[in-house]
Amino acid sequence: MTRLVEVPVQFDDRSFDQFAAAYAQATADGERLLFDAHAAEWASPYGLVGLLAAGEAARHRGERPLLTAPASPDVVSYWARAGFFREAAELFEIHGKVPKTKPAKESEVLLPVTPVRAAEDVHAVVSTIQQRASAILASELGLDPKATMGFAMALSESCQNIVEHAGTGGWVAVQAYHWRRKLARRVVVIAVADAGVGFRHSLEPSQAKRFGDRWGDAAALEAALIQGVSRFRDPGRGQGLAGIRRYLARWEGKIAIRSGTARIAIVPKWDDDVPLRDGLPAFPGSQVLVIIPEQESAQA
Amino acid sequence: MIQHINVHAVLQQSVAGFYADLVTRPTGRAVRESIERALPPGTIAVMDFTGVGCLDYSCADEIVAKLVREKVLVLLLRGTSDAHREAIEPVLLGHGLAAVCERPDGTLDVLGAREPAAALLDELVAQQVAARTPGGAIALTAA
Repeated sequence: MTRLVEVPVQFDDRSFDQFAAAYAQATADGERLLFDAHAAEWASPYGLVGLLAAGEAARHRGERPLLTAPASPDVVSYWARAGFFREAAELFEIHGKVPKTKPAKESEVLLPVTPVRAAEDVHAVVSTIQQRASAILASELGLDPKATMGFAMALSESCQNIVEHAGTGGWVAVQAYHWRRKLARRVVVIAVADAGVGFRHSLEPSQAKRFGDRWGDAAALEAALIQGVSRFRDPGRGQGLAGIRRYLARWEGKIAIRSGTARIAIVPKWDDDVPLRDGLPAFPGSQVLVIIPEQESAQA
Repeated sequence: MIQHINVHAVLQQSVAGFYADLVTRPTGRAVRESIERALPPGTIAVMDFTGVGCLDYSCADEIVAKLVREKVLVLLLRGTSDAHREAIEPVLLGHGLAAVCERPDGTLDVLGAREPAAALLDELVAQQVAARTPGGAIALTAA
């Protein structure tokens, strides 16, 4: 018997909980999973890397999961250019027509979906993004050219969370696009996802006692993002997320991290997201979203 | 005696692959261990960042903070960009440490915690490695 996990038509961080709920329900009895994306009309980088994380978690649970590719030629072509199918081919048995397009080297895909398993992968990601993102960050988003280096730093620290804490590999993707629905401005988005142990499990040995009854996914995210807590005793640890926060504060950016059953966000004034949500449908690993909007001065 | 460290060259020697960026803990650890092998404890060291691209917090902590905390008397940073200093400063502050930074005009500035920072400049002047300029700034006399 195969259990169906429907991929939302508009698949991004806003619809991710709907996807996570379907995933949690489908995995309840250990049957093979079919991820159905045939009706998908759009997926953000967050949706794409999140789908890969789900695929990896499903594969580890048992039989290789199935994936129905989007029916729309435009959508499936975009997913291919974003590098999704190159990674998905290893995880899923894919059904439907998938173009043999190579991941895009130009346009809005600043970094196609890229696996992150070791420090060398983070080096490669940082090197690639500096070559390709500088022009977009400066000319299209109106960021100071010096901000490119901070952007690379934020990307590096986001990816290192996978290498150091997930206990498994993950994926990162970076795209620039015009966010009409929410902001009517251009944005650059970093999405990172893994199907690893998650923040609660990573921090539990050092932090659970301190939080007592409050300990859980939400408390773990709060400890990591707000208090800069790390699982390591070394006092220099835990500065990566704090550094990302400082960078985003300067450029009115947003960070949101989902892990287990909770999600935390540093919400800029242009957004109406909820800072902390608990009791969400359980989903493996951690998923990080970073959004840097076009600066208002650049719009004038 | 002042020890000179070309960070970019050490990076090339310490890590497989031609990287210009100082990112990730393992890279920072490898670079610091290479530096430590050639650095007698308690020295004044000039660390030149020319040619280094991105420096993240993990590497700033592994290299700069740990050398200042455990190995050198004074660490003088040269060839740093604004982005490098933005990564280094909070890391030093987090440990209550400080380092000296050479500006492009040769005068010295400090990064990190205020109290040890003032003592670092005094130490450089006392050892005649640096001196006050007529304008009141402090600049290196040698190195």
